[in-house]
Amino acid sequence: MARLIEELRKLPGVGAKSAQRLAFHILRSPEEDAGALADAIRDVRQRLRLCSICNNITDFDPCAYCSSPTRNQRLVCVVEEPTSIASVEKTRSWNGVFHVLHGTLSPLHGIGPEHLRTGGLVARAQRGELDEVILATSPTVEGEATANWLADLLRPSGVRLSRIATGVPAGSDIEYADEVTMARALEGRRQM
Amino acid sequence: MNAYQAEAVILRTWPVQEADQIVSLFTRPHGRIRGVAKAAAKSRRRFGGALEPMTWVSASYVEKPKQDLVRLDSCEVLSSPLSDPVDYLRAAALAFYAEVLEEALPDHDPNEPAFRLLLAVLHHSRTSHIWMPVSYFALWITRLLGWMPSVTDCAVCGEAFGREPAWFHAEEDGLVCGRHKRPGSRMLSAESLLLARRIFQSPIAALTEESWPAHRSADLRRFAVQALERHLERRLRSAAALAKLGG
Repeated sequence: MARLIEELRKLPGVGAKSAQRLAFHILRSPEEDAGALADAIRDVRQRLRLCSICNNITDFDPCAYCSSPTRNQRLVCVVEEPTSIASVEKTRSWNGVFHVLHGTLSPLHGIGPEHLRTGGLVARAQRGELDEVILATSPTVEGEATANWLADLLRPSGVRLSRIATGVPAGSDIEYADEVTMARALEGRRQM
Repeated sequence: MNAYQAEAVILRTWPVQEADQIVSLFTRPHGRIRGVAKAAAKSRRRFGGALEPMTWVSASYVEKPKQDLVRLDSCEVLSSPLSDPVDYLRAAALAFYAEVLEEALPDHDPNEPAFRLLLAVLHHSRTSHIWMPVSYFALWITRLLGWMPSVTDCAVCGEAFGREPAWFHAEEDGLVCGRHKRPGSRMLSAESLLLARRIFQSPIAALTEESWPAHRSADLRRFAVQALERHLERRLRSAAALAKLGG
């Protein structure tokens, strides 16, 4: 029991009490449920890998997006983490593919350009396999720095580069928009 | 329970729970403090983009007795680093300011000169013009923390450097003349020594018109960073990133 609690404590956001609660829940649950949880954890480590094209987490290579015949393979959306893909996919309006960097440039955390997974993307752009690359990193200092650095890297290939728009969130009140958000919303206005 | 509204600069944030954040901020009246921003990741209304490191804000916070962390209620942006373009070099410079202040400033100890220095260098840190404010900050913050040795005369014999270069060593404080340098010492050029004296006598605005490529005062920055790292007893990651970029 102590071993299980210790292992659960290593999970993000799980403290000593939560780990204890989870451990007792596993202990009380039917054997097949506990077995299914253990199998799922083992499988995730054994079967999941990174897609050789886009670096997304997948259980078969290339991933579902990169092997889809209905998606535009020449249109790439660059995201920071695999979890960002879900946010784009939620729109149901994206028909291109993705490229996952697995991080952003972060001088404070010692993450430099050499730590980001960009080689495959740059090679594809240089081979003329891409029409457009959309840089969808977060509009933070680190996300902006990453987008600008990547744009400089891709520019010589001649591929069209774009940055996701930033501005007032849909359904929010303009009264509460901060100055940077509002300035960007005005900069990125569109004709009606 | 005391409620405050004060000018502050955000230094760092750490996520806790699902949407809360621990925020380290350098406030004008209370120095560096840490607080909890409840639901910061979700609440656009109270925080918006105001918790981005190096954002100058007007912060509202509540201090409770016997609690280390204040409750951060809201932040209104006064100036954001995102108002100007951000490249990797500028991001590294901003990270350098944040890391030095986060590591060096004691808790709850107001430091008005350091606050004014930070606002000044933030104002001048533009993508095309980053090495001057970085050099200015590195030298001045080392001096304000009391860790800057004399840049005019030798720490051993007291002789003035004049138009001669000075030398510094990774394992020693202070600058020495050519006669007292140890093996493995690095040189600080006579031009850089003159520049250091100018930096200590001039407001940052007086230096903005000058051309400042990466190699200018690189030895001076290295000397200041070494002094900071020796006293902090740790390597500064952002300084390593800046060094890779040419500084």
